[in-house]
Amino acid sequence: MKFRSRALFASATAAWLCAVFAGTTALMRYKNAAGAQLEPAGRWPAESTVARVPGRSMLVLAAHPHCPCTRASLTELDRLLVRAGGRLQAVVLFVKPRGAPEGWEDTDLWRRVAAMPAARPLLDVDGVEAHRFRALTSGQTLVYDQEGNLLFSGGITSARGHEGNSVGRGLILAALDGARLEHPTAPVFGCALDSPENGGTP
Amino acid sequence: MESRTRELLDEHMRENYRKTSRVFSILLAAQWVFGILLAVVISPRSWAGLASATHVHIYAAVFLGGAITSLPLYLTLTRPESLATRLIVGVAQMLWSALLIHLTGGRIETHFHVFGSLAFLAFYRDWKVLLVATVVVASDHLLRGIFWPESVYGIADPAWWRFLEHAAWVVFEDVVLVFACFRGIDEMRSIARQRTELEKTFAELERTHQIVTRTEKLAAVGQLAASVGHELRNPLTAIRNAHAYISKRVLKSNAASDARTVQFLGLQEREIHACNRIISDLLDFARERPLDLRPCPLRPLIEEAFSVVTARDGVDLVNEVPADLPVPALDKDQFRQVLVNLVQNAVEAMPAGRAGTVRVSAAGSAGDRWRIAVIDDGAGIAPELHARIFEPLFTTKSKGTGLGLAVVATMLKRHGCSISVKSEIGRGTEFAIEIPLQTPSAAAA
Repeated sequence: MKFRSRALFASATAAWLCAVFAGTTALMRYKNAAGAQLEPAGRWPAESTVARVPGRSMLVLAAHPHCPCTRASLTELDRLLVRAGGRLQAVVLFVKPRGAPEGWEDTDLWRRVAAMPAARPLLDVDGVEAHRFRALTSGQTLVYDQEGNLLFSGGITSARGHEGNSVGRGLILAALDGARLEHPTAPVFGCALDSPENGGTP
Repeated sequence: MESRTRELLDEHMRENYRKTSRVFSILLAAQWVFGILLAVVISPRSWAGLASATHVHIYAAVFLGGAITSLPLYLTLTRPESLATRLIVGVAQMLWSALLIHLTGGRIETHFHVFGSLAFLAFYRDWKVLLVATVVVASDHLLRGIFWPESVYGIADPAWWRFLEHAAWVVFEDVVLVFACFRGIDEMRSIARQRTELEKTFAELERTHQIVTRTEKLAAVGQLAASVGHELRNPLTAIRNAHAYISKRVLKSNAASDARTVQFLGLQEREIHACNRIISDLLDFARERPLDLRPCPLRPLIEEAFSVVTARDGVDLVNEVPADLPVPALDKDQFRQVLVNLVQNAVEAMPAGRAGTVRVSAAGSAGDRWRIAVIDDGAGIAPELHARIFEPLFTTKSKGTGLGLAVVATMLKRHGCSISVKSEIGRGTEFAIEIPLQTPSAAAA
């Protein structure tokens, strides 16, 4: 290889590395950008119509029926329920905004939850229940003990649409085991439940 | 032979690089298409209520995937044998693993792409590619462990060495693959060595085949020549006798006063002598007479040869063989013919009108080889002719038969002797005969 050709090759390689590094960094920033969260109520909302199962801790997960990132949250929910071994009953609130067409909520996510033994899907028209549980982001998970006291609020994935071990899952399992958590929260990664006019960002 | 083995091994390695690069050019392109399809199927859009937008994964698959693919794809197509190509393919393949893991939502199954890729990269049989790939994996885990630890380890505050734990499993596979690389190269070297030996054997076979073919042809020509020579000898003897009688009578008669008659008689005698010599050479070359080995003192043998050689004015013949030289066992008649031919050639090698000397020396002792040298200070033989002068029918003389040195070679071969030639144009030639080790007879003067 001649000097000129070598210099050209080195420049092309450097440019390639920079482009790849920049692209990867941008992707990682997106994947690790947490969604919005509000301070949750310390107890099960009294006005909620979601039925609790006596003798079991309750898990409420707010989900956008079309959010691809929530697929990972449901995978983690499934694993969590298996690990909890019958101590936990889950309800997944599928938020259907006003104006959404008929059957809009009938997605693979809904069907997947319906197939889980310890979870059931619940249609949440206009996000009324999600609002009661102060959930803004798809994947927001709240866990309450048998008395209705909040044990955990946050996400159960490690990044946006990313399966695997997460802080949230670890905290929930610890809480179910009776540990007193200092910071019972973790970031939520997912789509906004509300439309942009209400502050959500796709 | 070692250099040829190295050359063949290099050739095989280059061929392997070319083939593997071709595989990667297809794989890289296929991964790009697969990545885009994954993004389209799994995460086409991101949502906020009823609003949606193209998902970042689509952009990542198209643009980041395209960027990762671009340079290595170009290099595998344009410089498939280059080390830089291999290393960049190694980097790109690991980056593709990371991107596919993200596009599939971090599924554990997709992590096997890393290990599959390392196995693919091992096709290059170059440990440096595996090293670079491993460094990329370790760096990815190190950097993400620093900036986004939860996304890699699932906990917010992992120990600093966690990236080493991940890299260690990659290294574990590397060890196996590097071992396989070295073993593969050893096998390639072994194949190259075997191929070198085969090539050598084929070349030898080819040479032997050529020799056998030439020998068969020469044997046929020799038999024909011997037959013709034998048939011609009797009529020639009659012609010679008749010529001698006529010459005697004519030279005593008045016709002797005619200068042209005397000149033509001399011409006839010379040509009859030449014909006789040609026939003798042919018969010497063709006849397979068994050796009659007897103690044969060399000095007197050389004197005999000198007496037969046609002398030339100004060319001295010098016998330098010691009188007390141990005596080898030789076929006297055949060996005298050898010496006659060599000395005659040496005499004829003197440029016309120039004086010169032909010396014959010999050395040898009990339990050692004999060496006889015929040395002249004549015109010398061009180096490119050295290999051909012993071939039958090859001659540089205008009136030569091309059989003199062929007869020498044939007779010496029957004796188990070897002959070599050293010559320098304008300075002379030395023919050296090596007589193999034999039990010497009593010295004779």
